[in-house]
Amino acid sequence: MLNIKNLKAQIEEIKILNGINLSVNAGEVHAIMGPNGSGKSTLASVIAGKEDYEVTDGEIEFESEDLLDLAVEERSNKGIFLSFQYPVEIPGISVSNFMKTCINERRKQQGLDPMPATDLLKLMREKMELLNINSGYLSRNMNEGFSGGEKKRNEIFQLAMLNPKLSILDETDSGLDIDALKIVANGVNKLRTENNATIVITHYQRLLDYIVPDFVHVLYNGKIVKSGGKELAYELEEKGYDWITKK
Amino acid sequence: MSLINNLEKYSKTLLLSTEEKNDLNSFFSSGFPNISDEEWKYTSLNKIVKNDFVVEDLPVFDEDNIIDKVSLGFKNKIVFLNGKLVSSPKIDGITISDFKSFKSKTNNSILSLNSSMARNGFSIDVENNTVLNSPIEILFLISSTRNTFLQYRNQINLGKNSNLKIIENIHSIHENLAFINHFTQVKCDENSIFEYNKTQNNKDNFSLIDTCNIYQEANTTSSVNTLIFGGSFIRNNLNFEQNGENAESNMNGVSVLNGSQFADNHTFVDHKKSNCRSNEVYKGIYLDKSKGVFNGKIMVRPESQKIDAFQSNNNLLLSDESTIDTKPQLEIYADDVKCSHGCTIGQLDKEALFYMKSRGLAEKEAKALLTYAFTNEAIDKISVPEFKDKCEKLIAEKLNVKLDFNH
Ligand SMILES: Nc1ncnc2c1ncn2[C@@H]1O[C@H](COP(=O)(O)OP(=O)(O)O)[C@@H](O)[C@H]1O
Ligand SMILES: [Mg+2]
Repeated sequence: MLNIKNLKAQIEEIKILNGINLSVNAGEVHAIMGPNGSGKSTLASVIAGKEDYEVTDGEIEFESEDLLDLAVEERSNKGIFLSFQYPVEIPGISVSNFMKTCINERRKQQGLDPMPATDLLKLMREKMELLNINSGYLSRNMNEGFSGGEKKRNEIFQLAMLNPKLSILDETDSGLDIDALKIVANGVNKLRTENNATIVITHYQRLLDYIVPDFVHVLYNGKIVKSGGKELAYELEEKGYDWITKK
Repeated sequence: MSLINNLEKYSKTLLLSTEEKNDLNSFFSSGFPNISDEEWKYTSLNKIVKNDFVVEDLPVFDEDNIIDKVSLGFKNKIVFLNGKLVSSPKIDGITISDFKSFKSKTNNSILSLNSSMARNGFSIDVENNTVLNSPIEILFLISSTRNTFLQYRNQINLGKNSNLKIIENIHSIHENLAFINHFTQVKCDENSIFEYNKTQNNKDNFSLIDTCNIYQEANTTSSVNTLIFGGSFIRNNLNFEQNGENAESNMNGVSVLNGSQFADNHTFVDHKKSNCRSNEVYKGIYLDKSKGVFNGKIMVRPESQKIDAFQSNNNLLLSDESTIDTKPQLEIYADDVKCSHGCTIGQLDKEALFYMKSRGLAEKEAKALLTYAFTNEAIDKISVPEFKDKCEKLIAEKLNVKLDFNH
């Protein structure tokens, strides 16, 4: 589904990604771990298409199509979803209004009529239930005044609404207490099928107890320095990153 | 000929009272305000008044469906065609009549011109205890084949415990220049509630000076929502005078301008009594070479204690060539006052745009939605859903997107 080859990216001459190779197939869960500043969020942003980063080398293919030429929204409409490490507050626009606009703009591009308001509300309620979100939530402004945990839940709510092929969860566990973590992980798991894939970016092994990865990669200095199965996450938890990065 | 000559000539055709003569003389001795006047520093009338205008001399026109096209469809409608009152509703407890001459408390050259020679306008008297749930819609429609100068002079008097909502639209549908000097005086007696919704949505041949003076007695709430979507030149003077305790004055404004449009909002709240409030939220969005001015004056008199005054003016400059001059003007002479104000000038937040695009919104739609979100704090204060819908549609239209901003 996703094929990244020798990806190099920089911002204002600062090299951040230094030759990433990663291949993700449908049905798989990949975890990307690594110390702060190693380039995890940058990788996520580059896949999503953030223009601030300049890709200087390499390629990204998504479903056999070159992704690097596509605009952010085109990538989204092809089925890529980024759950932000730091979701952005948008005062003045409610969660329901935002979702309605996103869903209907997507339908417009697919040549479909807007979703009837009642269907849309039903869909939102269904996804809210999945994530244990209460009803007042829809009329709140996007992320405005949300706690860290609420913001992360809102990301997964949008994920559930947009039903992407590839989900990238950037530190979705940070800000969540253990109960919320279980709910969110359960939501993510329920949305998994053999046709979609998930990349979980995290510092901690904790989340991986609930969203169990098929592969674990360690990112350091903008490169994947080690890959393995889910045991690697436990090893990292125990030993830290030094034993890999000091080599 | 320039407008001032046109006006001189026109004045000779009128029978003026002594007072009107005095006002007229005072207008001619000072002329139109110019940029050496502090209040008009950024706002030049030169380009308008140098033109040749026909003053107040237009036939009532008969254009198919124009009223239906412009109206929001409210049952209670007051309609002016080229200055003439052509229809007004009958409502229990409310007397609506054609222009009546009245004195205004404040004066300046624009108001002197208005008080001396305006002969058109409406007068609305709301009896004590009359509560009107549905708004009165007032349409001032203009259509002519010549450059046109028109003046309106309106008054609204709200009785005790009354409640009135107005929706006003001054709309020009012709191709020549129109210049309107509009004045409305509102008196709110005790315990009354008043909401005045103004849309100013015109083409680039339209210029407007709109002065609205509102006098509030005790326990009154008075709100003015000013929605500007176009016109080559707009100057709003919105003045509140609180003459009783526990009065609340609310001002909300949204301007969305493009091309070389210009809009200036001057507001003034005079807190003359204790325990009063004012809330002011103005949002400006400027595209292309458009220009905005905001001047918000708040006066708290020495004897007025426990005043709560809030003012904000936020602006988005969506092009390199657009400009905004914004100035809070606080004159606070009492000690026990809560007053906060802030103005911002900025661009759309890039992180927010990336976020929205990552959810599938195209650049243009993401920008429009974020811009709409920026205005929402002010739009949200409108209590008439039909008017709010209309404003949201106009914002989408102005930003050139087919988005439905309703929630
Ligand atoms: N917009 C930016 N401007 C400058 N430096 C950046 C920017 N984004 C990321 N970096 C730098 O790139 C490195 C990787 O950052 P990031 O991808 O956020 O790491 P991680 O998510 O692994 O903690 C860091 O050193 C960070 O300071
Ligand atoms: Mg990060």
